[in-house]
Amino acid sequence: MTKKIVAVTACIAGIAHTYMAAENLKKYAKKEGYSIKVETQGAMGLENRLSQSDIDDADVVIFAVDTTVQEADRFEGKKVYKVGTSAVVKDGKAAIDNAVAQVE
Amino acid sequence: MNEQLSDFISDKNIVMNLHARTRDEAIKDLSFILQKNGSVSDSDNFYKDVLKRESMTTTGIGKNIAIPHGQSKSVISSTMLFARNDQKLEWNSLDGSKVDIIFLMAIPPDDQGDEHLRMLAKLSGKLMDDAFVDSIKKASSSEQILKILRQQ
Repeated sequence: MTKKIVAVTACIAGIAHTYMAAENLKKYAKKEGYSIKVETQGAMGLENRLSQSDIDDADVVIFAVDTTVQEADRFEGKKVYKVGTSAVVKDGKAAIDNAVAQVE
Repeated sequence: MNEQLSDFISDKNIVMNLHARTRDEAIKDLSFILQKNGSVSDSDNFYKDVLKRESMTTTGIGKNIAIPHGQSKSVISSTMLFARNDQKLEWNSLDGSKVDIIFLMAIPPDDQGDEHLRMLAKLSGKLMDDAFVDSIKKASSSEQILKILRQQ
């Protein structure tokens, strides 16, 4: 079965890294054949908001954040792989691989 | 982002031959250009705010690219400058590479999501796209850079 990933990205200023990390996660998830939805929590607020069913159905949650996740209670009980945005910008493949390894 | 980008990016936002010798000098020179362009009211203050952000974590995102950015009260309206420096600069980049492609972003502190900010966010995302980055690196004139940015 294809792994389902949901992710939240958020950086301090909410301008650049939030969106770079989101794109890099999508890029490498696609390469590995995983499905992924990414919610950005940046200067423009919460965008591409994950629904509760997106979260419930996910095999793994990635928090690519340098700050606190807003509305974190939505993820209660889920396995969360937490990483900084810079690490994801530097190596999106490692972030995806590490997150998936956590649930395998 | 076609129409909006052409509204706020013109050839005065493109610097093809920056001659900075250090990261700080590059940011300082570009801050001054932003002031000249009327996007920043006090280039010195903006420069300090950009360095403050830089001191938290590097904005050298790898592949010879840096995206210094400042949320500063000296910014009149959100904008960006693209610059190519004539030598590669030390930037403590994530991948250790030196930088000659600089996207300097300027944002006022109270910007909660106008169109310009949205485009800066989109542009940031595009920097993860290898084909986009290759085309930026290959471009040899400000017209070509503008064309690439406007296609996004």
